[in-house]
Formats: sequence, structure tokens, C-alpha cells
Amino acid sequence: MSVMLTKFESKSNRVKGLAFHPTQPLLAAGLHNGSIQLWNYRMGVLVDRFEEHEGPVRAVHFHPSRALLVSGGDDYKIKVWDIRPQNRRCLFTLHGHLDYLRTTQFHHEMPWIISCSDDQTIRIWNSTSRNCIAVLTGHSHYVMSAFFHPKDDLVVSASMDQTVRVWDISGLRKGSPNTGPGNFETFDTFSTVKYVLEGHDRGVNYATFHPTLPLILSAADDRTIKIWRMSETKAWEVDSCRGHFNNVSAAIFHPKHELIVSCGEDKTVRVWDLAKRTAIQTFRREHDRFWDLAAHPNLNLFAAGHDSGLIVFKLERERPAFAVHQNTLYYIRDKYVRAYDFETASDIGLLSVRKFGSPYVPPRTLSFNPAENAVIVTISSDNGMYELTTLPKPSSAQGGELKDSSVDGKRGSGMSAIFVARNRFAVLNKTTQLIEVRDTANSVVKTIKPPVQTNEIFYGGTACLILSSTSTVVLYDIQQQKTLAEVNSPPVKYVMWNADSSLVALMSKHTITIANRNFSQHSLIHETIRIKSGAWDDAGVFIYSTLNHVKYCLYQGDHGVICTLDNPVYLTRVKGKTIHCLDRSARPRTITFDPTEYRFKLALLKNNYEEVLYIIKNSTLLGQSIIAYLQQKGFPEIALHFVQDTNTRFELAVECGNLDVAMETAESIDRPDCWERLAQQALKQGNHKIVEKAYQKTKNFDKLSFLYLATGSTDKLSKMQKIADARGNPMSRFHNALYAGDVMSRISVLRDVGMYPLAYLTAKSHGLEELAEEILEVAGLSPADVDDVPSFGQSNRKPPPVLNPTTDLVWPSLSNGESFFDRALASGSLENGVEPSYVNGDAAAGSLAALDDWAKDEEVHEEIDPEEGGWDLDAGAEFAASHEVQEEVEEEEELGAGATPGVSEIEHWVRNSPLAVDHVSAGSFDTAMQLLNRQLGVVNFEPLKPLFLSIYRSSHTFLSPVASLPPLQLHVRRNPSESSPSRVLPVAARSLQSIRSEFVDGARDVAGNRLVNAQATFRSVLRALLLVVLTSDDEAKQWRDMVTSAREYLLGVSIELERRRVAQEEPDNIERNLELAAYFTHCQLQPVHLQIALRSAITVFGKANNSAHAGRFAKRLLELKPDAKIAATARQRVAAAERNPRNAVEISYDEFTSFEICAASFTAIYKGSPSVQCPYTNATFQPQYKGLLDPLTELTEIGASASGLPAPW
Amino acid sequence: MDSSELYHVKQQFVLGAYKTVVDLTLPDPNSPDFIPTLIYKARSHIALNDPKAALQLVPADSENVALKAVTSLAKFVAAEGTSNSESALEELRDLSVEIEGDDVEGTDRDKATVRVLAGTAFARAGELEEALETLGADTEDLEAVAVIVQIYLSINRPDLAKKEYERSKRWAEDDLLLQLIESIIGLVTGKDEYHNPYTFYTEQLGNPSLSSPHVLTARGVTRILRNEFPEAQSDLEEALTQHTDAETLAAFAVASGLSSTKKGETDANELWTRLSSEYPRHPSVVDIAKKSTLFDEAMAKYTVPPLAASAA
Repeated sequence: MSVMLTKFESKSNRVKGLAFHPTQPLLAAGLHNGSIQLWNYRMGVLVDRFEEHEGPVRAVHFHPSRALLVSGGDDYKIKVWDIRPQNRRCLFTLHGHLDYLRTTQFHHEMPWIISCSDDQTIRIWNSTSRNCIAVLTGHSHYVMSAFFHPKDDLVVSASMDQTVRVWDISGLRKGSPNTGPGNFETFDTFSTVKYVLEGHDRGVNYATFHPTLPLILSAADDRTIKIWRMSETKAWEVDSCRGHFNNVSAAIFHPKHELIVSCGEDKTVRVWDLAKRTAIQTFRREHDRFWDLAAHPNLNLFAAGHDSGLIVFKLERERPAFAVHQNTLYYIRDKYVRAYDFETASDIGLLSVRKFGSPYVPPRTLSFNPAENAVIVTISSDNGMYELTTLPKPSSAQGGELKDSSVDGKRGSGMSAIFVARNRFAVLNKTTQLIEVRDTANSVVKTIKPPVQTNEIFYGGTACLILSSTSTVVLYDIQQQKTLAEVNSPPVKYVMWNADSSLVALMSKHTITIANRNFSQHSLIHETIRIKSGAWDDAGVFIYSTLNHVKYCLYQGDHGVICTLDNPVYLTRVKGKTIHCLDRSARPRTITFDPTEYRFKLALLKNNYEEVLYIIKNSTLLGQSIIAYLQQKGFPEIALHFVQDTNTRFELAVECGNLDVAMETAESIDRPDCWERLAQQALKQGNHKIVEKAYQKTKNFDKLSFLYLATGSTDKLSKMQKIADARGNPMSRFHNALYAGDVMSRISVLRDVGMYPLAYLTAKSHGLEELAEEILEVAGLSPADVDDVPSFGQSNRKPPPVLNPTTDLVWPSLSNGESFFDRALASGSLENGVEPSYVNGDAAAGSLAALDDWAKDEEVHEEIDPEEGGWDLDAGAEFAASHEVQEEVEEEEELGAGATPGVSEIEHWVRNSPLAVDHVSAGSFDTAMQLLNRQLGVVNFEPLKPLFLSIYRSSHTFLSPVASLPPLQLHVRRNPSESSPSRVLPVAARSLQSIRSEFVDGARDVAGNRLVNAQATFRSVLRALLLVVLTSDDEAKQWRDMVTSAREYLLGVSIELERRRVAQEEPDNIERNLELAAYFTHCQLQPVHLQIALRSAITVFGKANNSAHAGRFAKRLLELKPDAKIAATARQRVAAAERNPRNAVEISYDEFTSFEICAASFTAIYKGSPSVQCPYTNATFQPQYKGLLDPLTELTEIGASASGLPAPW
Repeated sequence: MDSSELYHVKQQFVLGAYKTVVDLTLPDPNSPDFIPTLIYKARSHIALNDPKAALQLVPADSENVALKAVTSLAKFVAAEGTSNSESALEELRDLSVEIEGDDVEGTDRDKATVRVLAGTAFARAGELEEALETLGADTEDLEAVAVIVQIYLSINRPDLAKKEYERSKRWAEDDLLLQLIESIIGLVTGKDEYHNPYTFYTEQLGNPSLSSPHVLTARGVTRILRNEFPEAQSDLEEALTQHTDAETLAAFAVASGLSSTKKGETDANELWTRLSSEYPRHPSVVDIAKKSTLFDEAMAKYTVPPLAASAA
């Protein structure tokens, strides 16, 4: 093992206990200082801290499925915590131990907690009743660890008494009358020591079960790790691992590989081979002793706690080596090269590389050469090696052993090796800094000294290499041996070319550089989370995965999230809406996603407005991000179409100058600042009407007056004057008077505010002498007093006359680019040719037709609605009660809103489905009958009553969860995965399958000559088929086929019954007897039943001496290839007919003209004669039966019009 | 915090192990657990539809408001459908008013019990608004919440039920009853394919400290809702071997009817016959009878033409 990759490290007080969360990236750490830390090791953040224990916490464990943590401390207490951030707290504490707690653990399925303590006992607690349900005694010293078996009812414990014990706790599961706390004697009966494992020379610190094998691992102060095996009856020591040179604190099995991981006070973490018991790897720390170890149950992750913190690490790289060529993914899993076909999903092994490099190290990279059908695999063990092997033909690989690469593989040393041409590959030797180009015979043809310190090489296009160095990437031409281009970038780890090799993505730990093929243009994306892999989609968008997201990135650098990931995946290919990837265990997977968002952005970027529009109209793009994006990219008018929120709409409308929308939204917001912004924008655009409205709303009188002046709106100005009067604001009055040129009111304002001098002068200068005198008088002055006032002469100031009335005119605004979208979006339909080319016309037409269908369905529903309403009122006590409530609601406002009844599930059912059966399930018999009548012409419902009732009662069940309350009615759905009320549908009481089996029963009755039974069965089949749930075209077709064959059988059986009646009651009517026998053979039965009909006809016709007819039937019989005996008689018949080709009785039967059989009169209706049909089964009748009840099914009116079954899928 | 005996009794009661609670021996009359245990016992009798036994159990002269309420509820249930029920309701109304006063004897717990019992009776009588009002919009008693939630669900307001549940989550412990409430809501809304109720009932079945056929029935019903009919049948069959009640019988009939086999259908019909004869008052029986009339009414709207038959 050459890798131990540290993923996360924290510094803290000494860590004594560790536990991984089974599903979330959380790690709990119990600290010596009494606190419990909850780390998100993926993000590297401390999520929470629980500090209620006094003294060190040695024991922590997560609940396997609920958000619970159990901890135990030196305060003798066990605490169970709710770890949900909103509810975090200690739920309860279990008391009972009398000394330090060492380990605690939840059971994997029972509500049990196991704990062990220095008080020499192990206890099992019931976390629901919070009682101690068992005390396991027997250890004679501290119990250092105790764990449940992952499947069986066993416990393994380790103790300072130098033993490991296995306990049988199966007695506990059987359940026992709970005796409550205090009765310790009874506990012993539950659990017994099964094995005592002796062998360690010192105290044992840790013992654990293997997750799947019957093995136990123990770690002890005698510096050894021991492996024990157990059988049903005994347990024995298998071997020891020696190597730690101080106490071993813990040892655990690797959850997936045959490895052991251990840690100890010798400051090391060691990895051992479980099969060979040899040390593989040692990881040393300078100063810190290790105290605890935990393995993630599913992932390749381990955590170790030491004196000054903890580390989370993994043991090997998990990135599978892979290469994609056309539709095939070549990848390596478990040291086998495999080929996976993206289209057929076939996945086959091709080549074993088990003997290549260290057995513990997976291969690092794989390069595929389609011309030679060869691969180069590299591995990092032994300082880097490569191996070139040709792949066997897939066909030859089948059966027997796979080819092993060591047979003809050509090896060499080198850190990275890739194909650069059909028959050349390049190998980088990192230490000597030489790149060798070799041919397929593995001999060097050229040696290159790279221009920069190179860590890794990648394919760089024809005859080129991409060299990755610490700070740059170099595009290097092999032939010319020179640098073509160089881009600064952190060390590049992976390189991906797009389909037509025009763009390349250079990925490093936290950045992606997207460059064109000669690196002349490039853009850089920075990610805070580690980048794992990437692939190009067909449209030239780069899709990449980080530790926890799948994201996309456009060539100019825009990027966004597509979906989140629970665990990292390695993308191999993106096609349409499907991402192909490999997971950590190198299994191919697919992820379906919605590419709309980036397609939309790409279309915007390329100014492809038709496609933008198409996407807007056909998909549900929503959300703040897309709006912000549009706004930021300068498309507020498009963003406007996505926004519902009025505030945002207003902002966008103002920004893109869409005054209509702005006005509309401003009215609903109605805040002064909005109106002010609207006024500003409208002023800019010269739309004074909106300005006016906005000023009015904000009561901005001054500006309003000035606006009226500017627009020459005199009548409104005079109104403003009045308003100013009413407001008593002299300044405003003066302004308005000035604007309106109204001298009298100007003077009166001046007088009112006591500015007599100004009033006097104004009057005087406007030649209003009398008024001037009057003012003087009021001021208590005489004309003599104002002698010294100079005379100003007459003023003729007036507002300028209105030349062009603009009151009703608004400054014309130029219609610009936005109108493209406005028009298209407003008109509601795309003009021809606007659709993007990839949608062909047929599809659009199809969708249009589908829409029409929908519309039709809608109409149907509207017609039904009134009935539904009427039905609601009858829906039973539940409803009656709720109506009462409603009445009271009006009085009781406080609770009123809370108690209005909602829409019941059965109403949803009725709304959601146009199928009669669903209406029956909902109990809406009335509408169900209407539907049956309209769709299939059913008029006689009597026979359907048992079906209706049994379907209805099968769709509802009752449960009373709360004592003494009336039970709740629950409704059984056929789509339990759906919880949205608009999509729930009732359970399908009868399936096509079950009806088919009934049909088969009927057919069996026919063969067994139980015709009356058969008739009843086929009738019941036809009834049941009326009320069956169909979900696809395919099922609809099967349904129709079954209806038709049931009809034919029913018709045949009825004819035969009639014939027997005739033979019985009218023995002389041989003619009719013969006719009916002949018709029976024309019902479309399965060959085996048709044979019966033919043989019966042969017999009847034979008796009547109609040997010509009989011969014909015999011929038909022979065509069906009956068995030998029957065939022989038939041949005799044919021969007889040839000898005597005559018919004794003349009957109306012309087998040479095709005919239908009237299902009422059992007479032939020859082709071209008039007929009417049953609207349900399409059985044919003579025209005189129109309007009567179909005698076959006894359900429908013959000849009634019917719309047929709807297709709601 | 309750003593562990009482905690246990409460747990049994909540999970519908009424039989077990009924068979309990009462603690010492001076113990603080005496009255609560007595109340649970009496309520279990009522839940088993045996109000007479409850009336015998509770001393008639008790001063405790909660005990009085139990008596009234028992009287109400006994008299349901007759004119006497109104007087029992009146008693409960008086009690609910009485506990609002300051001078009344009794602990908070007793008062909460009175509200729950009164609410139950009102809901049974169809007075949903009154029930909700009595239980209180801001109650911090989980039993009351359970009743409120069920009332909301019965009038098709799962949104309100959910709100009520979210509200109680804030103050309630991670209580068994709270989990039950979550499950009830899950049963009605069908969220996550009925995951919540399914795991809850499965977990409780694994609970070694109690056995309640009701839990089995509930899981059976959940499985019906999850369209797992054979599994549901086996649950319900097992429940029936332990204890026969209308609910299990009805659910078993539904599961059999949906099992898509010939035998299932016959079984279902037999079970329905049995159900309607043994429990003529069970809502499903009443409902079916109503639907049968509805069918006849709806059918009458169509005139059936004469059967087309051969003139010959």
C-alpha cells in the first residue's frame, strides 16, 4: 500500500472516541475534555458541539437510520442526543453504570443500545422504554469495548482481564414481559457467554466482528492484534499480527477489502493484509499516540483519534482508470479492464491486470488505441510503471478465463504513458525529465527533453502533447520539438477534449481552464470544492463533477449547478439528458438531469433568440438565479417573463423601460419610492401621463403643477389651484397662480399671508388700481406713504400660449429589440419557422393534437362538475359535519380559518381521471355511469352493481389511531409514490392480468362443454373489462383484443346454446340447426376451440346428409392440424364429400362471401348489407335491433353513439 | 417527568394496546400514579367500546375533574345514538368551562385530560368546531394535538394538520405520541410512499416491551396503502389471530379484495359478509350501504331498452 490519503485533519484536545455518520459526511468525536464534536469532514467545518458530559467522553456512536447520537462518559452516564441542527439537545440520559463508560453502540435494527464500563459489566438498554434490559456480567476487570454483531444476536467484548468474550443475546430478542428496572436477577437468563477467547497476555483494548465473515479481531496491550474464527460451536485463535511496539488501541476490519487497520500508542496507524497477516503499510506521527479508530460503513474512509486531534483518511485512490472511445467506455474495476457500452449497457470484462504492479494499488490511468485495439495502463506502485497490451476480441473473452495482461504485455517504467498516434505512445519519466516516444514494439523512436519541469503528460491533439507543470500547462509539438503555447494554471490533473477536438478542458484541483485547440483563447473557472472529473456534452458545454455537485460550464466561463451528489462520481460521458459516470467502486451509473438551464444560457450567449424563446415557452425555468443571470447579462426584458414577485417585476420593468408592466406592478406595490422611480423612468421616456399618475400617487404637488405647466394642461392647473386652496399652502397657491397666469389669486395669496407691499405692487403693475387702493387701506397706509415707490410700469407677463396641445400626446418611444420577445410571448404561439431546427414539424403537430385532446378532456370535466357538486353534499356524515362547522366559522373568527374543510382525496380522484373505474373507486357512481354511458354506450347498470360496490370498498380502508375518535378513512392509491394531490389516483382493483385469467377459465369451460358456465364467465369478463385501469397504449390495445375475443367466445357459446335449444325443442327445424352449427364455426376462437366447433358441425351436417358442407368443415379442420385420430376421421369426411358432393338440406349459409353474425338473431349479415354495432364490443346486429339492449353483454344500447375510452396517459 | 410505570402505561395506551391496559392492576390508591393509571384504564375500556366497564371502574363520587370527564365520556359513548347523549355532552361542556376557572381542584394534567376527553366526545358528536375550540389552538398537550390533527385530517386539511404537528415538534420531546401523529399525517398524505408510518409501525412492532394487535393492524393498513397486498394480508391475518376487531376485519377484506387472485375475491366477499353482520355500525359497512342506495338512485336515471331477441 503506497497511499494513505489524508482527507481532513483537526486539532483539538485528545480524541478518545470516534464515529462516522452512516449517510451524511459527519464524524462525531468524543474528547478528553468532556465535549463531543460533530465535524463535517467533507467541508472541513465544525457543525456542532455537545458539552453536557462531565469528564472525558470515550464512547460515541450514530444511530443507523435516525438523527441520533449516543455517547458515554467518565461521569457514568449514557446520553442520547438529537443531532438535527434545529432540535439539537440531549433527549435522555441512561443511568446505571457505576464507573467510566468505554464504548456505546446502537443496534442495527432493534431499539437497543449496548454499553460497557469499567464497572466490569456490559449493559443493553431499550432506547424506547429507556430501561436497562440486560446486564452481561462475567468479565473480571474493566470492559474496554462491547459491540453488537452486524447481523446475528451476538455481542463481542474485550476486557482488561485479558479475555475477549462472545455473548449470545438471542434470548433478548424473543421479547419478554418487561419487568421494569430493579429486577437484576432476571437479566441473566437472556444472555449467556458463548465463547471466552483467551490468548492475549495483557489487557485487551478492543474487539470487533468482521462485517460478513465469522471472524473477530482484537487489539491488546501485549502489542499484538489477534484474529479469531468462530463456528456454531467453538471459537479459536487464527493468527496474530505483530509489529506495533506499544499498546494497540484499536483494530478494525476494512469494510470491503481483505485488510486490517490498527492504531496504537506507538504513534502509528498500520495496515495489514488479512489473508497473509503481514504488514503492508505504516503511517507514523511525530508526537501523538493514537487512541481510537473508526471505519465508514460504506465508503473507503477511516478516522483515527490521537493526542491532539483526529485525522480522516482513505487508503487508496478511488478514481477508476478509464477512457472513452465512441460508444464504449473502457475502464478498470478490481484490476480487470472492462468495456461498457453506453447504449446497450452491456458490461463485459476483457483483460486481467492483476499481475501488474502491487496487488494493493489500483491502476492509475488507461489509454485506449482503437486502431490497434490496445490499452496502456499505468500504475503508481514501483515508482511508476506502464504496460501495453492488446485487448482480446470481446467474443473470445466469453467463457473461460480472461486473458491476463502478463501474457504479451510490454512493460516499462514511467509515471504517465499515453497513446499519441496510431502506433506511437509517449512515456514520461519524471525523475530524469525525459519523454520517450515508443512504437508498439515498445522500442524508443524519439526522446524529448520537455521545456518545463513536467509532472504529467496528456494527449494534445495530433502529434502534440499537453505537459503539466507546477504552474503552467504547455502545448508541445512532438515533431517540431517546440512549445506551441503556454497557459498559466495550477498543476493540471486531468484533460478532456470535446467531441470535435475544438475545445479542451484542463482540470486541476480547484480550477478548470477551458481553452481552444491552440490555447489562443481560454477562460478559467475557480471552484472552492475539489474538482473530480468532467465530460463534454454534445452542445459544447463542459459538465464536471466536484465532491458534491455536478456542474456545467460554458465556454466563456459561466457556470452553475446541475445537481447535488451524495458521493463523488467520475463523469465519463454526457449525452442529451443523461450523464454516464463511474462511482467510487467503479460501477457504471447514469444520472438524468435537466439541461434546460445551460442550454438556455448557451442560446443567449450565441444570440440564438429563437431557441431562447422556445425554451422559455416549453420548459419551466424558474428561480432567482436565472433572473439574476438575465439581468446581469443585460436581458431584463426576458427576465420579466419569469418573474412573479411584484417587487422584482417592478425592478426589471423599470430597468428595461417597460412602462406598462412597471405601472401595473407599481399599482400593486403602491409605495412612494416605487412611484418616484417610475416617475423618473417615465420622465426619461417622455411618457408624461405615467409621470402624472406617479406624482399624483405620491402627492408631489409642486412637480405635478410644473408638469401641467410644461404640458400646457390649463384646466388641470386650475384644479391644482383649488387643491392648493384646500390645502391652505400659500407657497403652492402662489406657484399655481403664477403658472396659471391668474393675477387675482396671486394678489389674494400675497394679501392672505400679509405681504402687502408685494400684493400692492402686483396689483399696481397689472393696472388694478382699485385693488391696490384697497390693499393700501387694509395696510393702514395712504397713497402718499408710497410715493417713494418707483413706478414699474405695466407688466404683461403671462404664461406662454399653448401652441401645440401636448396634453394628450406622449413622447413616442422607439420599439426596439425587446419587442421580439414581447410579441412572441404575448401572441401565445410561435410563428412558423421560429422553432429551432431540431424540433421537427411532426412532433409539434403531435403535441398540438395532444393539447386538443387535453382541451377535450377538460370540457368533459366541466360538464361533470355540477354533478360532482351535488354528489359532495351526499358524501356522508363526514361532510354533513363539516358543513355545520362552516356555518359556525362565521361566528368564530379565531379558529375560523383553521376549520374549513379541504378537498377530499376522492374528489381529487374524480378530478384527476377520465376513467369510469376511477370514479367508481371514488364513490362517484353518478359520474362513473355518465362516463360509461358516453364512452361505451352502457345503459343497463344493474349487472354492474356488485362490481361497483366491490371496487369502491376495495379502495378505502379505515384506521382509528387515536382512542375513541371515529376512524379515519384512508384511500388506497395505485401510485403510492405520488403524494401531490393533483396526481393521485385510486388503486386498480382489477388488473388486466386477473381478468385474463378469468377469461382463460371461461375458455376452459368451453372445452369442457360447460357452456352455461362459460356464457356467464364471458359476460362477467366483459363487465370487468368495463372497469379496469389502463395506463398505456399497449394496455389499451390488449384491452381491445380481450374485449373482442371475449365477445367472439360469448357469441359462439350463445349460438351453440341456441342450437341445442332448437335441436331439443324444434327437432324438425333441421335447417336452423344446421345454420347455427355453421355460424359457430365462424366465430373467431382459438384453434383448439375452433376445432370443437368444426367437429360439432361435421357431426351435425353429417347426420343431415349434407356431406358437401361436412367435407368443407373437415377440410377446415385439417388446416388446423388436429391430432392424428381426429385428422383420420376428417379425411374420411373429405373423401365422402368427394364421392357425394351434395347437400340434402338447403340452408342459408354462403361460406364464400364474408359475413358477420347478428348477435341477436344469429343470422348472417353478408358484406355490404346494413348493420348496427354494439358501442362497447362492436358486435354486429341487424338494423332492426337499433336502440335495443345488447343481448350478449346485457349492458349496452345497440347502435348508440359512443366516444370510446379516453387515453389519459 | 412521569414515573416509568406510568410512562409505560401511557405508551401502551397510545399504541392502542387497550387490552393490556385494561388488564393492568392499579397501583396503590395513594400513589401519585393512581389516578392517571385509572384514567388510562377507563379510557381503554371506552376505546374497546365497553363504556359500561369504564363506568364501573371509576368511582361515581370522585371529585377529580378528569375522572368526572371520563365518566361523562363513558356515558356519552354508551348513550350514543340515543337522546341521552346530549346530557353527557352537556356535562362535558360544563367541565370544560369549569377548568377554565381558578378555583378548581386538579392538576394541569387533569385539566388537559378533561379537554382531550371533551374534544373526543364533541368530535364523535360531529361538533368539530366545538372540539377544536375546547382543545385550544395553542395547546401544549400532545394528546390534544393528536385529536386536533385527526380532526383536521378528517376534514381533509392535511396542511393544517402538518402545521399543528410542526408546531408541536418545537416543544414536544421526541415523544412516541409525536411520532404517531407524524405517522397519521403520513397515512393521509402519502408522503414519501408512506415511509414514515411504515417505519414507525415496524419499529413499534419490534418494541419488546409491548405487543399490540392494533400496531399490526396499522402496519397492515399502511402496507395496503403502499400497494403491498400480500404482505398486508399476512399482517392482518396475524392481527386477527390475536384479537378480532372491525377495523382489522375491514382492512383484511380490502387487502384480500386487492390481491388479484380468485381466492382473494371470495375471501373478501366472505369477510364483508362477516363484517356487516358482526359490526353493522362500522363506518365502512354504513358507507357501503349508503353507496348501494346511491347506485340504485343513479341507475334509475337510465332507461333500459328491451332486450334485443330473435323475432323467430
